Amino acid sequence: MADDLISLMIDGVPVSVPKGTLVIEAAKQTGVLVPHYCYHPGLPVAGVCRMCLVEIEKAPKLQIACATQVAEGMVVHTQSTQAKQGRTGVLELLLINHPLDCPICDQAGECELQDFTFQEGRPATRYSPEYAKRFNPVEDFGPDVLYVPNRCILCTRCVRFMEDVAKEPVLNVSERGDRAYVGIHPAARLDHPWAGNVVDLCPVGSLLSKDFLHKARAWELDKAASVCTGCSQGCNVTLDTRENVVVRVRPRPNLQVNRYFICDHGRLNYRWMNRGDRIEAPLVRRGGELHATDWDEACERVATLLRGAGGKAVALVSPKASTEALFLARELFAGLDWTGAFQVVMGEEAPLAGVPELALRAERAPNGRGAELLGYSRDYPAALSAAETASVVLVLDEPESAVRTAGALIYVGTMLPERAREAAVVLPIANVAEEDGTFVNRDGRVQRYFQAKPAPGMARPAWWVLSEVSATLGRGERLATADEAFDRLAASVDAFRGLSYGRLGFAGLPAPAAVPVAVPA
Amino acid sequence: MSVSAHPTPPAGTEEYQPVFTGQTLEQLGEIFTRYPTKQAALLPALWLVQQARGWISDRNMAEVAEVLGLTPAYVKGVVTFYTMYHQHPVGRHFVQVCTTSPCNICGAEAVVKALLDATGARELGATSPDGKWTVIEVECLGACGFATPVLVDDDFIESVTPEKVPDLVRKYN
Amino acid sequence: MGYPHKPHARETVLLSKHFGEADARSYKGWVKRGGYEMLERALAMEPAKIIDLVKESGLRGRGGAGFPTGLKWSFMPKEKRKPHYLCVNADESEPGTFKDREIMRWTPHALLEGAAIAARAIQAEVTYIYIRGEFTEPWAVMAKALAEAKAAGVFGRGKIHLHRGAGAYICGEETALMNSIEGKRGNPRIKPPFPAAAGVFGMPTTINNVETLAAVPLILKQGPAWYKGLSLASPKSTGTKLFSVCGHVQRPGNYEVTMGFPLKDLLYELAGGMRPGRTLKACIPGGSSVPILDRDETESCLLDYEGVVERGSMLGSGGVIVFDDSTDMVYQIMRLARFYAHESCAQCTQCREGTAWTTKILERILAGQGKTADLDLLLDLSENMTGKTICVLSDSCAAPVVSGIKKFKNEFEDYIAGRRKPVLVA
Repeated sequence: MADDLISLMIDGVPVSVPKGTLVIEAAKQTGVLVPHYCYHPGLPVAGVCRMCLVEIEKAPKLQIACATQVAEGMVVHTQSTQAKQGRTGVLELLLINHPLDCPICDQAGECELQDFTFQEGRPATRYSPEYAKRFNPVEDFGPDVLYVPNRCILCTRCVRFMEDVAKEPVLNVSERGDRAYVGIHPAARLDHPWAGNVVDLCPVGSLLSKDFLHKARAWELDKAASVCTGCSQGCNVTLDTRENVVVRVRPRPNLQVNRYFICDHGRLNYRWMNRGDRIEAPLVRRGGELHATDWDEACERVATLLRGAGGKAVALVSPKASTEALFLARELFAGLDWTGAFQVVMGEEAPLAGVPELALRAERAPNGRGAELLGYSRDYPAALSAAETASVVLVLDEPESAVRTAGALIYVGTMLPERAREAAVVLPIANVAEEDGTFVNRDGRVQRYFQAKPAPGMARPAWWVLSEVSATLGRGERLATADEAFDRLAASVDAFRGLSYGRLGFAGLPAPAAVPVAVPA
Repeated sequence: MSVSAHPTPPAGTEEYQPVFTGQTLEQLGEIFTRYPTKQAALLPALWLVQQARGWISDRNMAEVAEVLGLTPAYVKGVVTFYTMYHQHPVGRHFVQVCTTSPCNICGAEAVVKALLDATGARELGATSPDGKWTVIEVECLGACGFATPVLVDDDFIESVTPEKVPDLVRKYN
Repeated sequence: MGYPHKPHARETVLLSKHFGEADARSYKGWVKRGGYEMLERALAMEPAKIIDLVKESGLRGRGGAGFPTGLKWSFMPKEKRKPHYLCVNADESEPGTFKDREIMRWTPHALLEGAAIAARAIQAEVTYIYIRGEFTEPWAVMAKALAEAKAAGVFGRGKIHLHRGAGAYICGEETALMNSIEGKRGNPRIKPPFPAAAGVFGMPTTINNVETLAAVPLILKQGPAWYKGLSLASPKSTGTKLFSVCGHVQRPGNYEVTMGFPLKDLLYELAGGMRPGRTLKACIPGGSSVPILDRDETESCLLDYEGVVERGSMLGSGGVIVFDDSTDMVYQIMRLARFYAHESCAQCTQCREGTAWTTKILERILAGQGKTADLDLLLDLSENMTGKTICVLSDSCAAPVVSGIKKFKNEFEDYIAGRRKPVLVA
């Protein structure tokens, strides 16, 4: 046992945790969730909601688990009569002014007030109808946030987030006593680039996202772990879908990357994942026009073009493409004289001041680093220039690409831009919500994302498409899963050596010290 | 509370006149020397604003925020916590009457009624039609042995009874 | 001195010796009365020695908690690594209490001297005297006295600043007071950390009440043994206390008596007893936040920390509120609950919602719409509001409610049963 581990008992279960651990965190390790509201591991401790009352032997009064540090030999009872009564008391008091809004409240189904009341609350009210509930009208705080004061339980998570994490105290607690509410100065708006996190932090339906307002019920949502594609920070997210439409993006905790937060740019940029104007079948040029066909013919056509490629080949790839796809595209040109490049849209950086190394990054794409590690160049203009006289140009998911070529254009993408109508072959692929894959963020962390909804029509993941073409060319076994695709990548590229989907899990891993990668002959 | 309770100045017509200029700014400078942080000068700064303008507007709060390196929302959160800061204009004379139990059992509520009548303010928190008086009930003023204590602006008057009220009001009128 | 009355023969006049003497407020006047000699002595003493003297004297905090003062001072770091602060709690807002204002407006220098000695003992460079915003006269007197004393150079290198509050009872809670000085909402802090470790501006801090500090020069002058000897009952309660007697007595005022003095004598003799034709019904001995005593308990109660606990209440701030038989106890308990509801800072759920709900239930009872179940509801609420919050404002609201229902149940039942006419409109 390390010297600084403290041993204690929680509900009869022994546990050892580092010195300084809060009782509420130690309890999590024994599988006990102490009900709480104001406490959040990403925020400074407030100790105001009083919900996490527990009984600690030898302490004269109930203690709040969120502000009590473990001590050697401490014995904690979270389910003692006294502790439960204390918490039931808090719940009753939170509900006296809280409207019975559940049928029209967005938070229903993912509401901590519902959850804990169900678990430990009183079955009936002693307040209504004799006493009137407090009423304040809904307030528009800014770009995406609505505040419903009636539902607010004054946990102050939102105030503390803006003050201590965003470092812009634009929310306050106004007034005193039961007149208190969360306020904002009339001249100010809640337009901080990370402000949307207050909606996630709010345990009840008091702070709401206008974007998500009345769009879906929590229990209708399917969830998939993913990685934000907004920039190169690689924040971990959860994609919430309802009937295969992405309706919400929420942060997924990752202490190494984004802690508990995502920025508004990433949060609100998901509608493109649901676009209907997709290429739904492989297309080949026949008689001067593009015709829909099956995968066999399309892959055969691409293979033919590549076999016949005499001079240069150029690959213009998107820094939004998965690492697997980028790798397989590279493999496709093995043996040819080829150039591969990508370009990244840039924007303004917006750090989250209270968290080191976390910002909305200037590079607005999730896998620029992945492309780099695989040997793609950032000199896009040079590649465009080379493309003009190349015999084969592969464009991977770049609808904006200003590509012009005298050779054969193979367009692999989700939508069909004007330019691609000149392509020899068009191959439809899945977008980030429709496949499994990995991105490498700016810090070299390799992170998995998971499929949230099916791809439309005959569209398939880009790694599959490229692997099929490769197999048609006789260049190796077909890949059946993204897992296998990644294994093949990890086996060939030093920067990814030793990694696998199993090891990456949900939190990702840093790529082993980046080794300059030589493009294989 | 009646609609005419708080006559507000016409909105946005005049340019904002900062409070912290000249002598007031000097006073603030001296106040800064008393504390290791600028934030600690907040309560004293708000008193200076109220002394200069009679109340503290949202625009004043923004000015105070700027001078102290805080946000307007933060300042507003503090202003709304402390009941002695007025967030809207009040009558020329602001009257605070204690009605907490020790004074309550010595007739404080009758004193309140007498004041509301004598000043013409009629309702608690409202300003009298002539703009001269606002009367409110407050909690314990710390003079329970001298019931009923009444604060008229900064004048702390002890042992007020309903009988003494007309003279008291006359003195200020 | 039961100011504004002449001192009663049974008072032990020490702190209140110069109440009413306008001349005592000036620096020269105070020096004439022997002032600042003890400060001069203290500035030449070792801080630890001063702490020992105060410890030995048995002086306990006079603001309400009754914590041994010398012990509190000894919590400050002995080795000076950071700036130390002394905060003087002059936020006197506990209903029934009006003694600190008298000390400040009659003997400001007693407070200044006591504070300066304390600052020396805890090695504080800076002292803030937090005076509630409504105390306009004490503020003016203190400001003038401070300027004169500073000009006379008595404080050496120590700095003393006055800080004006702005209308919040909760700022009398020591951690809320510190937050208020820092320019924040007056929210009490969770402890730990304790002020002596991390107080105002995160630095080691001690907070003391006005009356506590005013006693310090006396202890230094006449010695701790003398102070310890001033004790009529429990040896753990020493010295004198200013009791602020108010409400239904003939002569309300501040009476200074030795610890252990009988409450009965304080009321019937010193304060002149009940009004003509009236009898004592109830008494709250320590400011409104402590349980109410009924007549029998009041008449057998000794006024020291232990004696009042024995009767089921607390000495608290020594604000003695007297209710005679004309009092509507239900109404007054409602008015006290309303006080706490107004003053709640809003942090803790039990206090924020509980004080308001308690008030509403009592208002309904007074409006003739109470139910029998309301009494159990009030007791249940009070139980939830006790011992579960950051500070004790919540418990303070529960105290009069619980003791009131226990000892004056018939008055509540009269309203509920309709035997008494409603006094409020629903």
